[in-house]
Amino acid sequence: MDASMIFAQFMSGLSRGMMLFLIASGLSLIFGVMNILNFAHATLWLVGAYICYSLWYLFQDYGFGLWLSIFLAALALAAIGVVIEVVLIRRVYKRELPEQLLLTYALVLVLGDLIKIIWGVEDKMIARPPLVEGPVFFFGVPFDSYFIFVLCVGFAVAFGLWWFLKKTRYGHIVRAAVFSREMVSALGIPIPKIYTGVFALGIFIAGLAGAVQAPVGSITLGMDMAVVIQAFCVVVIGGFGSLLGTFVSAIIVGEVYAFSILYWPQGALVMIFILTAFVLIVRPWGLFGTPTRA
Amino acid sequence: MIKYWWLGVIFIACLILPLFIGEFWIHVAIEILILGLFAVSFNMIFGYMGQLSFGHAAYFGAGAYATGLLMVKSSVPLPVCLAVSMITAGLLAVVIGYFCVRLTGIYFAILTMAFGQLLYYIIFQWYSFTGGDDGLQGIVPPDWLFSATSYYYFTLLIVTAGLIVMWFICESPFGYTLRAIRENADRTRFIGINVRKYMLINFAVAGMFAGLAGGLLGPFNRSIAPDLCNWHQSGVPVFMTVIGGPIGFFGPIIGSLIYTFLFAFVTGFTEYWPLIIGIVIIFVVLYMPGGILGLAKTKFKRRESKAPIVEEN
Repeated sequence: MDASMIFAQFMSGLSRGMMLFLIASGLSLIFGVMNILNFAHATLWLVGAYICYSLWYLFQDYGFGLWLSIFLAALALAAIGVVIEVVLIRRVYKRELPEQLLLTYALVLVLGDLIKIIWGVEDKMIARPPLVEGPVFFFGVPFDSYFIFVLCVGFAVAFGLWWFLKKTRYGHIVRAAVFSREMVSALGIPIPKIYTGVFALGIFIAGLAGAVQAPVGSITLGMDMAVVIQAFCVVVIGGFGSLLGTFVSAIIVGEVYAFSILYWPQGALVMIFILTAFVLIVRPWGLFGTPTRA
Repeated sequence: MIKYWWLGVIFIACLILPLFIGEFWIHVAIEILILGLFAVSFNMIFGYMGQLSFGHAAYFGAGAYATGLLMVKSSVPLPVCLAVSMITAGLLAVVIGYFCVRLTGIYFAILTMAFGQLLYYIIFQWYSFTGGDDGLQGIVPPDWLFSATSYYYFTLLIVTAGLIVMWFICESPFGYTLRAIRENADRTRFIGINVRKYMLINFAVAGMFAGLAGGLLGPFNRSIAPDLCNWHQSGVPVFMTVIGGPIGFFGPIIGSLIYTFLFAFVTGFTEYWPLIIGIVIIFVVLYMPGGILGLAKTKFKRRESKAPIVEEN
């Protein structure tokens, strides 16, 4: 095996990792702040992809159609996130973990069928604009030019989230709410609004990820099922609620997948579960988490 | 024992049931029994030990594959196959449980799920042994169990025996230790109980009975598929338990009755079964915490001197 092949595999792992990061970051944010594990995250990601497809279908005659669709799809998902939070999630804040899990799991089933009803069972394809159609070459290795865009979005979301949480007033409030809900609300800040905002932000990122994913291949029913478990694995390996951890572990998982494919094609997913189980056993709070959360 | 006269009534009702219903509903009844056994075994971990296992289908699937493989590739009699199923699933549960009982809460749920998915992908990919995603076909029950009615009685016998054993385990000092662990693991440890050991034993027992339920499924469906092991299948006992109520031994069976009956009914006229069950579950979680049994308990508060199972808050 030569260096160029390793490099190609590395880049493929990187783009896969970046995709996983986009999905897992919202999941991790929602869990870190609200302590709710959102099973429906990847299903909402898929909804984002389908909405992006429909919008693209409307705007396909315009050059900027795809980019506008991606943005609008993410916004639409944020709106859906607000509705879900206000109508459903808000009612189970004080409940036990299994009930919260079940509620979001039920959402997976409901949303999955709604997708089937609205968009039908056929696969959807988005034709890419000429700008990102062909391959680009790094050191003579072909690389899908659309993945450059995916990488950019990934880094932008990572930086944006970091900036939001560390540098803005709202970010500070959100982080304070993680440590003490009571204290924050005693200061006159409405916790439910903060939670709604965080949930909507998490779903916004999921929608963005879905919309960005849409032109990669075909959009298929049930795509979310394989992805949600991998996103869980990423969040677990990185540590719940740690943005840096999610980023690093998404890249690790992407690379492990890409290189396992090379040596043991059937075992790529198995490797990810073994890695997850190993981290959970040795260090349940994840690579970058803090033991207090365990 | 007089207190449990209604169980005898239900058992007799189950015995005469095939006289009144057609073949389709006998099949539904067999499924209710098998999935009920599966859900009760799940509830030993969830309701009695207080941990959510989201990979319980692994043991169900392991049991199904043990019986399925033995019946397809050899001519071992079915009862032996079922015993092998129990042992296989139990051993698997010991290995997986060894790691899982070190964790609690969300980490327990995710680790059990990760192991479940691990097994699912192994079965899914291992074509030469498990048939991969084609599954196993032609798992034909022996002649004396070929008709739906005879298989129904056989299932009823096995499931009842399994339930009785689990009932005695749950009502034994061991079962009460589990309840203590659920309420406060630290205090239980302080009085000198090896919490992890108890949790592991319970995990293995629950896995064994899930394996028994899985073993019954293959000859009933005449085939098995790797989907039996994935996390959707793991969601089924969770649904049943939450619908029926985790606070009592029989809650999961009530859940199985409702879930399976609803499934048979709804899939008769629409393909959107997930939509319907999803809405039902959202409704149950929001308005009926504690499931049917929880509802019954608050509506008709009976004067019971001893609380057999501590209610969840």
